[in-house]
Amino acid sequence: MLLGIGPGSLTSPVMGYAAEAASKAGELSGAELDDLIAFGEVLVEGRTLSPTERGFLLEHIEDRLKHTPGHLSLYRTTVRTLERLAGRPFARLDLPERVELVTRHRLGASQTSVEEAPGPFSSEMQAIRKQIVEDLIGGYYGSAAGWAIVGYQMFPGRCGDLTRYTRAEP
Amino acid sequence: MEAEACVVGAGAAGGIIALELARRGIRVVVLESGPRHDFGRRGEYVRRYLRHENPWRSPLPELDRYTPGGPTPYVLDWKRVRGVGGSTLHWEGYTLRLHADDFRLRSLHGIADDWPISYQDLEPFYARAEKALGVAGTPDDPWASPRSTPFPLPPFPLSYSDGRFAGACRSLGIALHHLPQARNSVAYGGRAQCRACSTCHVCPTGAKASIDLTHIPEAEATGRVRVVTEATVVRLETDRVGEVSAAVFARPDKVEQRVTARVFVVAAGAIETARLLLLSSSRAAPDGLANRSRLVGKFFMSHPSIEVTGLARDKVHPYRIGFSTAVSRQFTVERDRASRGAFMLEFMNSAGPTPDRLAVTSGQWGEALRRHVQDEFGRRLGIRVYCEQLPDRANSVSLNPRVRDYFGNPGPHIHYSVGGYERRALDEAKEIAGRIFAAMGLTDVRRSNLMFAAHQIGTHRMGTDPSVSVVDTNLKAHDVPNLYLVGSGCFVTASSSPPTLTIAALAIRAAEHIAARLHPTGRVAPSVSSHEHEPRLTS
Repeated sequence: MLLGIGPGSLTSPVMGYAAEAASKAGELSGAELDDLIAFGEVLVEGRTLSPTERGFLLEHIEDRLKHTPGHLSLYRTTVRTLERLAGRPFARLDLPERVELVTRHRLGASQTSVEEAPGPFSSEMQAIRKQIVEDLIGGYYGSAAGWAIVGYQMFPGRCGDLTRYTRAEP
Repeated sequence: MEAEACVVGAGAAGGIIALELARRGIRVVVLESGPRHDFGRRGEYVRRYLRHENPWRSPLPELDRYTPGGPTPYVLDWKRVRGVGGSTLHWEGYTLRLHADDFRLRSLHGIADDWPISYQDLEPFYARAEKALGVAGTPDDPWASPRSTPFPLPPFPLSYSDGRFAGACRSLGIALHHLPQARNSVAYGGRAQCRACSTCHVCPTGAKASIDLTHIPEAEATGRVRVVTEATVVRLETDRVGEVSAAVFARPDKVEQRVTARVFVVAAGAIETARLLLLSSSRAAPDGLANRSRLVGKFFMSHPSIEVTGLARDKVHPYRIGFSTAVSRQFTVERDRASRGAFMLEFMNSAGPTPDRLAVTSGQWGEALRRHVQDEFGRRLGIRVYCEQLPDRANSVSLNPRVRDYFGNPGPHIHYSVGGYERRALDEAKEIAGRIFAAMGLTDVRRSNLMFAAHQIGTHRMGTDPSVSVVDTNLKAHDVPNLYLVGSGCFVTASSSPPTLTIAALAIRAAEHIAARLHPTGRVAPSVSSHEHEPRLTS
C-alpha cells in the first residue's frame, strides 16, 4: 500500500509506543502520550491501530502542541481524567475495557445535552468532549489514515497518477 | 538603495514587471513585504494547509490587521498572502481571458463604465501572458473572444464528474468546456508535469505556475533585479515637482530605509496599493498620493460566489485532484447584463465534506464513526458560481486610524456590500444548477452561504479622464508622472472571470511602456532560462 498503512494489527501493544517520541511532543511524557493515543484509538476507529496509523495520531498531537497554545494543558487534563476514571493509566486497559469506559462516561460524544447530570470530574469531562474528542478525530481523519479509510491511498499531498481523476474507482 | 525602477510587491504584477524590465536592461529593486518561501518547505506547508492553516500568511500577523465593514463584510483572513510570488502562491491557477464584451458594459448594457482599452488592445499581451505562465487549455469555449495563438500546453482531460455533468448540461442546452489553467499538463518551463497531489493551494511540485518559480528566478538571473524581502513600504515620498522620489520601507527591525528610482511601480494588490497611496499623503496631496480624483480606494470589487451541491446515489470520486477542469461561460456573455450580473459555472471536482469534516460533525465515534465516514464520503457533486460585481463607489478601501499595523500605520478598512444586481444573478445561477442536478437525478440540493473569491479588484481604476479615474491606459497615475499602479486595482469592471491572467497581460503591456520611457532605444534580452519569453525588439 502506497502510504504504508496496513490493516490494523490486533496484537500491537499500545504501551511504550510513544515513549521514544516524548521529547518531540512538547512537554508531554511518553506515558501521557501513550494514554492519549490509546484514547484516540478508541475514538477514531474503535480498534487497535497499526503503528503507522498511531503515528498519524502522534503527528497530529505534536503539531497541536507546536502550533496551538493551550493544548498542552488540555491534553494533560485529558490524561489525568482518564486515569482517574480508569483507576490506572488509561493505556494499561485492554481495548474492550477502554471502549467500555468511554461508553459508560459518554466520552466519545462531542455534543452532550445541557440537561445531562454532571458526573465525576464534570468540567474536565466537558472539556474532553467539547475539545479533545473533536481534535483527535479531526486530526486522524484529516491525515492520510483518514483518507485511506475512504479508499484514497495517495492522499493527502502525496503525488500520484494524473489520469486517475478521469475515471471511476474500481 | 538606488535603481532605475522600484517595484513594490513581488506577486503576479510586480514579478512580471520586474522580469520584463530587466530583460530590457533596466535595473530594478523589488520590495516585497513578505518572505521568500523556500520551495523545500512545501511539504511542511502542505501539512499546515491540511490542518486548515494558511501557510502563506505574513510572519508578522500585525501587518495584516484590517477591519471589515458595510452590509456584507468582506473577510480577508484566508485570502491574505505575503511573500515572493504574492497571491500566485496560493491561487487556483485558473487563467481565463476576459470576454470582449467585458470591456464594454456601458456601451452594450448602459451600466457601469467601459474600459479605456479593448480586448483587441490586450489580446497580444494575453497571448504572451499565457506563454509566460504556461497555460493549459483548448479552444472549446464557445463564448471565448478570438485568440491569435493556440494555448501553449494541452488541456487537462475532463474529470469523471465532468463527464456526468456534461450529459445533463447537454440535455439542457448548456455547454460545458475546458477550464484553462496555469498548471503543467505536461512538463513546461523547467517545471514538472502536475502529479495530482490535490493540494493546489500549496503545490508541492511546482507544476502550478507561481511567480516565485516562473519569473523571479529568471529576473534575478539577469543580474539586474534585486529582490528585498520582508521589506514593507510604509510611504512614498514626493519631490517638489510632484514625482515620487523615494519608497520608504522598513524591515521587521522597524528601521526605515529608502529606495530612489526614476520610476516607481506599486503592485501590492488592490487593497494594499490603495492603502499605500492613502498613507503617502503630503501637503501637496492631502487626500493621498495620486488621489486628486478622490477615487483611490473606491469601486472595490470581488466576485461574490456560492456553491450549490447535490447528493448522488453512488460515489462520484471527488478530491482526486485539487483543481476543477470544466466550466461554462454561457451565462457570462449570452444574457442581458443590465439588470443582473454575468456568472460563470465551475464544475467542481472536489465537493462535499472531506473525511475529517464528516467525522467531526457526525457525533459518532469508534467503529460506527468509521462506517459513517466510509458510507457518506464522496457522494456530493458541486457547482461553484462566480458572479460579476458592479463597481459601486461606496465599496471602498480607506484607512482606519483605530487599527494600527506592525509599523504603527493605519490598517485598511474595507466597506463592502453586495447588491441586487449580484444577488439576482446568484439566484438565477442556483436555479440553473438545480436544473442540472435534477437532470442528473441528484437530491438534497443545498446552496452555500454567500462567499467571496480571493479576487480584489478596483481601487485605482483606469480611464482617460483624470477626474473619474486614477491611472491612464498605460497604468501611469494621472497625477504623478513617474508612478505606475499595476494589478487588478486598475480594472474598471470585474467581469466574472478570475483576474490573474488579465493582471499579467496588463503588467506586460505596462512594462513595455515603462521600458520605452526609460530606455527608448533598448533591445530586449533573450530569455535566460527557458521557453516562453521570446526575444522581441522594442525598437
